[in-house]
Parts: sequence; structure tokens; C-alpha cells
Amino acid sequence: MKIAMIGWEYPPFKVGGLGTHCYGLTHALANLSVNVDFYIPKRTEQKMVKSERNLRIIEVGVANVFPYDRYSELPIENDFFNAVETYNSLCANRIKGCYDLIHCHDWLTMEAGIRLKEKLDIPLIVTIHSTEYDRSGGIYPNQYFIEREKRGMDAADRIIAVSHFTKRIIMEKYHIPEDKIRVVHNAVSKIGEGGKKKKIVLFFGRLTIQKGAEFFLRAAKKVLEKENDCLFIVAGAGDMLPRLIDLAIHLGIANKVMFTGPLTDEEVKHIYRIASVYVLPSVSEPFGITALEAISAGTPAIISKTSGVAEVVKHSLTVDFWDVDEMANKIIALLRYHPLRKTMVENAKKEVDFLTWERTAEKTLEVYREVI
Amino acid sequence: MPAVCCYFEVHQPFRINRFSVFHIGGDINPYDAYFNHDLNRKIFERVANKCYLPTNRLLLDLIKQFNGKFRISFSITGTFMEYCDRYMPEVMESFKELFRTGCVDLIGETYYHSLSGIFDDLSEFEDQVNLHRETLMRRFNYEPAVFRNTEAIYDNRIAKKIEEMGFRGIITEGTEKILGWRSPNYLYKPVNAPNLKVLLRNHQLSDDIAFRFSATGWNEFPLTAEKFGSWVSASEGDLVNIFMDYETFGEHQWPETGIFDFLRHLPDEILRYPNNEFITVREAVERFSPVGEIDVPFAISWADMERDVSTWLGNDMQIACFNELKEIGRRVKEKGDENLIRLWRLLQTSDHLYYISTKGLADGDVHKYFSPYSGPYEGFINYMNILQDLKQRVEL
Repeated sequence: MKIAMIGWEYPPFKVGGLGTHCYGLTHALANLSVNVDFYIPKRTEQKMVKSERNLRIIEVGVANVFPYDRYSELPIENDFFNAVETYNSLCANRIKGCYDLIHCHDWLTMEAGIRLKEKLDIPLIVTIHSTEYDRSGGIYPNQYFIEREKRGMDAADRIIAVSHFTKRIIMEKYHIPEDKIRVVHNAVSKIGEGGKKKKIVLFFGRLTIQKGAEFFLRAAKKVLEKENDCLFIVAGAGDMLPRLIDLAIHLGIANKVMFTGPLTDEEVKHIYRIASVYVLPSVSEPFGITALEAISAGTPAIISKTSGVAEVVKHSLTVDFWDVDEMANKIIALLRYHPLRKTMVENAKKEVDFLTWERTAEKTLEVYREVI
Repeated sequence: MPAVCCYFEVHQPFRINRFSVFHIGGDINPYDAYFNHDLNRKIFERVANKCYLPTNRLLLDLIKQFNGKFRISFSITGTFMEYCDRYMPEVMESFKELFRTGCVDLIGETYYHSLSGIFDDLSEFEDQVNLHRETLMRRFNYEPAVFRNTEAIYDNRIAKKIEEMGFRGIITEGTEKILGWRSPNYLYKPVNAPNLKVLLRNHQLSDDIAFRFSATGWNEFPLTAEKFGSWVSASEGDLVNIFMDYETFGEHQWPETGIFDFLRHLPDEILRYPNNEFITVREAVERFSPVGEIDVPFAISWADMERDVSTWLGNDMQIACFNELKEIGRRVKEKGDENLIRLWRLLQTSDHLYYISTKGLADGDVHKYFSPYSGPYEGFINYMNILQDLKQRVEL
């Protein structure tokens, strides 16, 4: 089987779960003897084209399609739209040959997928890692993205949703019939334990509305009323950083909150390992691989009920992202009651061990086989 | 041609409230803050209407119909009787009416359905058994001859204590762990308590009703009274002990499964065989002699696949709560405040620890079915927060 996969981020250049997913999936598929050509926009002068057995990473043109780190109030600049158009056109024109199917990730690559489906007369698979409804946190979702997403979903022969949570959104908001959607959960590359645990509560993610860091800070304020010797870390970058710093000052907890800015992979591993509690307070989270990473580093997770990852980690605590009292209650319980932490981590690690990229690839392959 | 000894466990716990860390040490009425009275009332009324009242009515009819030949036993916890008083006195009345037929026996146990039997010090256990005994005397004017500990938890130490307290029989699980090749269909005596007789639950036949009755994947499905009667009659031994939760009828097994029809026809299907008969637990220990000894150094129970106490003490969270309970007990007794002792005892009900179990899928499903929380971790947080609050009150 030979497939063309179109993405827009790939390690080491990545901003989120999509890049992690593409990396894990393509390697695992290659190991399952699927021949994968992975197309990606060229980012830097440094060439990252590489080939491994069954896997080629192919850069297409030069296009700045990095969609995050924008202030949501501001209109998206034309450059960005042009870059997306350019990238999609380049992919559509450049990709040819005998592929069995085309596999796209998220709205950004869908136009190319639609055109290639027609041009090469092969089935189209799209994986939905997030929708505009997730990214906007439900506040003024952008109609342009929604239309793009809908067009891709309509054209696709099968849609892979990263969770049942996302599947429901695809059905309810995009009116896609259920029989076209398959759920394939994400996996995680295990981090492993190491280092001494400190009284640290960790948030790690893009600092955007979607990820709910604001609620993390409001819960921190309440936790500190009862446990004043713990530290809250807000790790990651994003357009909300200045506002979050303001909020920490306003809440009077600036001396107990550390904003790290962007971190290297090694720093991320370290911080997962020394934290005692991980919180994923997302407003709307299609999956949430970071919760799995934290658990694999021996850190128990408190997970937003509006997230996909809650479907695969039963041994976690869940909260409504807006319920900062309950979030604080659970953070304090994890900080205070060692047996709770220990039992949760022991059991959750067993669940996480089960979530391998091999498994994700096998499930994806099953979807491929449905259409070819 | 065995005797059939049916006994039903009747129990409801005082389920606890969501209790956040921010409530600890607050200006609250602990009794109302700890226990979710609304939920408890709702559950009790629902189960009373689905199970207790209709099943009692059916059993009363059967007892009358068979003119003393259909005989059963109940173990009714203290907390259950309090529920009746508080919400539905007619439920208590219907149990009394059954008892007055003379065909119904009552069984002793810990008033609070607690795990005090596995405390290091058995004095609290003894207090709770006596409390239950006094309650039966007051309400039924009856002194039970047979004891059944919470969820049939049993070991040599408990047997010894129960013998000392004057009981003549004790009930536990007929597990292969203690019987080996031997049959549960006889009485045994504890290795260290020669005057006590042990009744062992026939888990095969009991669970055919309690768990498998509506299991469509079971190769004996559907279970009819006729079929069950023939199995019982074919059993060797002196007596077959069919023990289960009373809520099996109408609550665990819904009316649609046909469980009430099954029960309605059961006496007839058993009594149609010559020499078959029903007996109560008291009659069992009066009539039969032990055929051997059992030695149980480590506690067993009728719960889960393991048939041990791992249901309540299987993970670190449960053990931490249990130790906290014991520790609070030591201090609360020194202090001697009756209100606090009462709260401590209500918190001892084994269900609270049951909700914190993290057992794997097979049993986890059963745990989930009974749990009012979204999972064991929330169960732990609520319960531990309450214990911390009680501890602070004891230390005041």
C-alpha cells in the first residue's frame, strides 16, 4: 500500500498534537509496511528532507502556514491565507503517481486533498485533530475555517476523529453522517519517570483561549489559600501570555506562578517529571496528548470534561473547566493525599502503556482498508 | 434431598455528600454536611418500591400459601432500620409482619454494616454487634442465634469472638479457599471455636440467581424455578445455603427479567421433590452437626472474584482511609462525645470504602453500578476530606 499524506507540521517543527501525531503515525505505518510519502511545507533554509524505510518526508515550496500565535481579535493577515492557498496548490500540482489514497490532517491541507482526490481518482481520508469550534473556545468561531473544514469533511471518503468527543462535534456542527466517521485515539511517546517530585502544579499548552490557562490561574488562587507552599507553572507560549501575566498579578499570586515561555524537549520532560499534579483545563480539547505525557512521567492528571483524552484515561480526575472551586479541591487532594497520587499514577500508567502509535497506526490502517 | 436455607441481606448505607477540602473545619452541621440525605431518601424510596415492599408482599403470600413450609431468614442492618423509621415506616412494618408468621428468622450483625471485625482491637466490633442485638430485641423482641458479619467477612478471630458472645452459628462464604475439595452443603466448626457452627454459602447456586439470572450469555439462560429446583434437589449434603442481597429481587434484577415469577414458583418447585424442605438459619444450627473443621487465618468474604477483603482494602487509598478511621476511633472514644462517636460509626459502613475500589473491569462494573460517585478517586477525595473534618472536630 502506498499513500500520500499531507500535513503542515512535523517534528522538530511543531506546535501541537498534530505534529506529534503525524510523527508517531507515519513511523508506525512505515513499520507496518505501508509506504508513506509525507508532504510538508518548507519552513527554513535548513533542509529536513529525509528518507527511511517506507517513509519519505517531502518538502513542498516555501509557505508560512503556521496558524497559531495570532491575536484572535485581529483579522488574519492575507499573507497567511495566501500561504495556505499556495501550499495547497503546490501540493495539488506536485503530487502525482500511483498512490492508493490521500490522507490529510485538519482544514489547512484539505483543499489539496479535495483536488488530488479528483485528479488522481483515489479515496480521501481526513483526520480531524481540532475544529474551529475547539480553537475558538466556542466564542465567535470563524466561518471561513468552518467552511473549509466542512468542504473537506464532505469530500472525504472517511473521517478519522481523534476522540468520540470530536466525533460528536463533527456530527452535530458539521452534519456529517455517523457512518463516515471512525474514532482513532492518539497515542503517546512515553517520557518515563526521573527526578524528584516537587510541590509543583503544571499547565503545559498553547496559551490560547482554547487551552483554558485562565481557569488554571483562578484555581491556583484558591489552592494557595490552603496550601501556600506550592508553585504553579504555566509552560508554553501563545498570544494570551501578557493577559495571563496580568491576571496572575491581579490575583496577587504572581510570586507563586512561573511563566516559562517556549521550552525545549528536554526542558518539557524535566518539568513533567518534577511536577506533582498536571492540569488540562481546556475549554474544548479534541484529545490532549499532554495529559498522557504527564502520566507517563509519573504525574497524575486532572482533565477537563470537555476533552477527548478523558475517554482513554479512566484513572484520572475530571472537572468542568469553569469549575475552579472543584479544580482547586482536586489539586489540593492530590497534593495532600499521597495514596491518591500513587494509586492514580500506577493505574493510569497501565492505561497509557496500552496507547502506542503502533495501535493508532493499526486502527488507521483498518480505515484505509475500508476504502481501497 | 437437602434442606434449603435461604437468607437475604437487607442493607442501605448513609451515602456521603460531595465534601470539598474547602468545607473542612467549616462552620457546618457535620451530620447534614457529611451525608447526602436527599439522595439517600430517593434511593431508599426507589428500592423500597421496587424491591422491599413487593418482595415482602410476595414472600408473605408464599408463607401463607405453604402453611409454614416456606421458611426464610433476613439480616437487617441498623442503618436500614433507621431509614425505615425516617422515610417509610411501612417497610419496617412489613418486615415485622413477615417475622410474626413464625417462618422468618433474623440474623445478628454489626449495626453499622462496618469493617470493625477487621480492626486490630475487637471492642468496637463487639459494641456494634451488641447494639444490633439490642435493636432486634427492642423492635422484634428476638435474640438471634446466628451471626453474619458484614459481607460475610470471616476469620478465626471473628469466629472466636462470636462464640464468646453467645451465638451458636456464623455465616460465611463457601469458598474453595477454605474448603478445598469439601462441600459447602454441610455445617463445619471453626478450628478455634468448637461450640460455633459455620453455615457456608453455596456460591454456585446463590450466584445463579443473584448474578447470572438475567445473563443472556449464560448457557443455562433463562433460569426457571423448575430448573433451579431440580439442581437443588440433585445436590448432595445436609443443606444448601442460598444467600444473597435482598435487592436482587426487583432492583439488581429488574421485574422485566422475570425474577418475581421465578421467586413465586420457587417454593413449589423445591417442595415437589420428596424430603426437600426449607429451614431457617436457627433451625439449621439446631438440627445439623458439623462434619469437619475450617481454619481461616486470613479474612475471607463473599465479595468479588477474590472472596477476600481486597474489595475494601485493595488499594493504598482504601488502606489510608481505613487507618484514618481506626485512628479517629481511638481518639473519639477517649473524648467520649456521643455525637462524634455516632458520626464515626456511620462513616464505618463498608460501602464508603467499597466506592473507592479500583478493581479491574470484571468487578469494577459491579462497583460502578453501586457507586454514587463518578469514580473511585472522587469517592476517595470526598471520604478522606470528611474524615479530616471529623478528625479536626475530635481534636477540638
